[in-house]
Amino acid sequence: MPAERQAAQRRGRMGRIAQLLLQGDRPHMLYIAFAILLVVFSFASPWFLSIDNFLNIGRQTALVSIIAIGMTFVIIARQIDLSVGSALALSGMSAALAMSHISDSWIVGAIAGIGTGAIVGAINGLVTTRLSIPSFLVTLGTLSAARGLALMVTTTRPEIITNDRFIAIFGEGDIAGVPVPILWTLLAVIGGILLLHYSVFGRQVYAAGGNPTAALYSGINIRRVTTLAFVLTGALAGLAALVLAARSHAARPDVVQGMELDVIASVTLGGCSLFGGRGFILGTLLGSLIIGTLNNGLVLLGVSSSLQLVIKGVIIVAAVAFTRK
Amino acid sequence: MSEPVAVAAASSPRVPLIRVTGVTKKFGGVQALRGVNLEVLPGEVHALLGENGAGKSTLIKILSGVHTYDEGSIEIAGRKVAFESPAKSREAGVAVVYQDLSLVESLSVGANLMLGREPRTRLGFVRQRELMAQVSAFLREHNIPLDPRVPVFSLPFAYRQMTEICKALMGDVRVLILDEPTSALTGGEEKILFDAIRTVTERGVGVIYVTHRLNEVFRISQRVTVFRDGANAGQFATAETDMKRLVAAIVGPRHAAMQARQETSTGTAMQTAPGADERTVAQVAPQFAHHAPVLTLTNVSNARLSGVNLSVRKGEVHGLAGLIGSGRTEILQTIFGLLPIHQGTIDLDGEPLAARRPADAIRRGVALVPEDRHLQGLVLEHSIERNLTLPRLPQLSRGGWLLAKAAALQARVAMKQLSVKAPDASTHVKFLSGGNQQKVVFAKWNHPRPKLLLLDEPTIGVDVGAREEIYGVVHDAALAGTAVVVVSSDLDELLRLCDRISIVADGSIERTVERGQIRHTEELHHLIQLSRPTEELAT
Repeated sequence: MPAERQAAQRRGRMGRIAQLLLQGDRPHMLYIAFAILLVVFSFASPWFLSIDNFLNIGRQTALVSIIAIGMTFVIIARQIDLSVGSALALSGMSAALAMSHISDSWIVGAIAGIGTGAIVGAINGLVTTRLSIPSFLVTLGTLSAARGLALMVTTTRPEIITNDRFIAIFGEGDIAGVPVPILWTLLAVIGGILLLHYSVFGRQVYAAGGNPTAALYSGINIRRVTTLAFVLTGALAGLAALVLAARSHAARPDVVQGMELDVIASVTLGGCSLFGGRGFILGTLLGSLIIGTLNNGLVLLGVSSSLQLVIKGVIIVAAVAFTRK
Repeated sequence: MSEPVAVAAASSPRVPLIRVTGVTKKFGGVQALRGVNLEVLPGEVHALLGENGAGKSTLIKILSGVHTYDEGSIEIAGRKVAFESPAKSREAGVAVVYQDLSLVESLSVGANLMLGREPRTRLGFVRQRELMAQVSAFLREHNIPLDPRVPVFSLPFAYRQMTEICKALMGDVRVLILDEPTSALTGGEEKILFDAIRTVTERGVGVIYVTHRLNEVFRISQRVTVFRDGANAGQFATAETDMKRLVAAIVGPRHAAMQARQETSTGTAMQTAPGADERTVAQVAPQFAHHAPVLTLTNVSNARLSGVNLSVRKGEVHGLAGLIGSGRTEILQTIFGLLPIHQGTIDLDGEPLAARRPADAIRRGVALVPEDRHLQGLVLEHSIERNLTLPRLPQLSRGGWLLAKAAALQARVAMKQLSVKAPDASTHVKFLSGGNQQKVVFAKWNHPRPKLLLLDEPTIGVDVGAREEIYGVVHDAALAGTAVVVVSSDLDELLRLCDRISIVADGSIERTVERGQIRHTEELHHLIQLSRPTEELAT
């Protein structure tokens, strides 16, 4: 009897883990695609299959992964955020300027950076929900405006960061050999999983995107939920800005142009429906890793950067077509 | 069946535009039409009446070429025609205007009327001026007051409908079929529509006019055919009949049989006490009769309501009867915080219920089972469990974190109590039958019991078995002290469920009757039809 119960419990736990890994419509396809990619590159390049290279992939994909966690909420809520790249640039400037002008403390930098991102997100959310303007247009506007502001604050010059603790905490440090950008990514992933899959807010996001009318009739404040999803995405863009600024010892206003496309590609590749109501955090992480691995592998194979773009584009569309019904 | 042939023979020897003889149609095992007859003379408005499921829609679909028929014949102007496809039907001169309009709202009236047959230049450009000229000529010729340059979205509903009718009339049309054309119109708009119909018939077109509103029949039609259970239940000359006779033909002798069936089936399909079925005010309400009303509406007005007064006691099931568009649904939506109140007050348990959004009403213990479960009630792509927990998230969480076990337990209990048939709570709602989906919507409000349960067409599109179970759920709720307000177009349902029934017309409550005062659906039918202010002046 106890043995049986233990077995049942184990099955229950395994079931829950399986559930976490296998959400969405045909999630196994995603894992298979990732596995195929790993095998192909392992055979093609002797340098691909090494711990250093995987850490490298993790570092390179950190920015996209972190922001994609937020974007997952936005897209599940049936919205889109095109402004993440510009929000990142503005947040980075804000963090660097706060440290050089207000107080040379990493905490001040972190608050300024993440806070700026959250404010951009709040503007996106409030304008979208209060004025009933499609978020595609609203965030197209903030994409331009936030970038413009970032360029204005220093008249397009980069702002140097000298705070060593800031640089260590967000960019160059490591714990047990794992670089901090990867740790921040893991933290964002875990936070995202808890929030999306285990909190009331997560349920509300799914409902708001799955059927806004039914959600309204069930007493859910869709405006609030949608706005919060944008704020979360903005704040994560701020976190990504800290990572990037710390790694390059400076905040530059012209960084990561066009990054929103990589982020949206990761999220949709990871099984999020652009029609809302569907998606999961691990899928998004996997989507981001697939794109990052692709970039990395193509570089190792010595494919020209122009051809890389073409291959990446084709593979993204093909993969989405493949993982859909 | 009283005076069928007399009129056709007496009126004139004209050849009917369309003659339907002995048409039958079977869907799977269901005999939808058992040999129906219908004929329409040139310039005639012929009303087609019958309850839901009487076969009206099936016949219309056959005439428009959507369905084929099994036996019988259809003649157009004395010539036998095979209605094999919508195109063939259109070719034969039959045009249908459906309830849901098929216009491109952003385009002008003219562009809509000529959609797909625009005059073009050799390079494929539209000859805009020629198009407008053609449309203007057509509108002038038919004496229809529409401006071809105006975009459709800026038109009131009646004019959109008129545009739709014009679209159907472009080309050679002999028979025009209007399917419930007034269901979304206001009184003033109706007059516009009726004028347009008269203009059309003056040109010799025959109109088949399908409706649920009897007073319209008297205003617009010359003859009436009634269908019941897929067969003809009578044909009348409008001038020689009255509402009573029409209602009798529509309802038929069935209501007596229904009554008997209800009494024998008591307590079999439901988990309620025997006899709960036949409960009346005298039987069940007394335990709560002395209670103050749970819900009181005092002179509530807004965009759709004008001075609604309503009071519902604890444990009472209160019906709202009325025609579609009368404001029944809007009363529920206003209570639930979906429509803002301009004037008047709503009190729940003696305290003002100033719900600005559904969340406020839910917090006070109000629940709504909406009319359209796919659009308003459920997230079809999500699991039963996710749907069930949605309105109860505040109770099923602590500090913003979902209590997964409590939520799962709640879902299992609710599914069991309402006997939702599904493998388990993780089944996606889209895979359930209509009846089980509706039970899930009910189950959303299962625990804790709401103080006030608002039901809008609770058994629409639900099979008979599930319907009985849902009635059981409503009875249980009332027995436990929940006040229930039911909106329904199914009069049998209202008579069966309700302690009192209020008749709603034009956004206010005309009168309220006790259950004992009405014995048959026929009487209720009369009350509803008579409640609508007749605009005889218009004719």
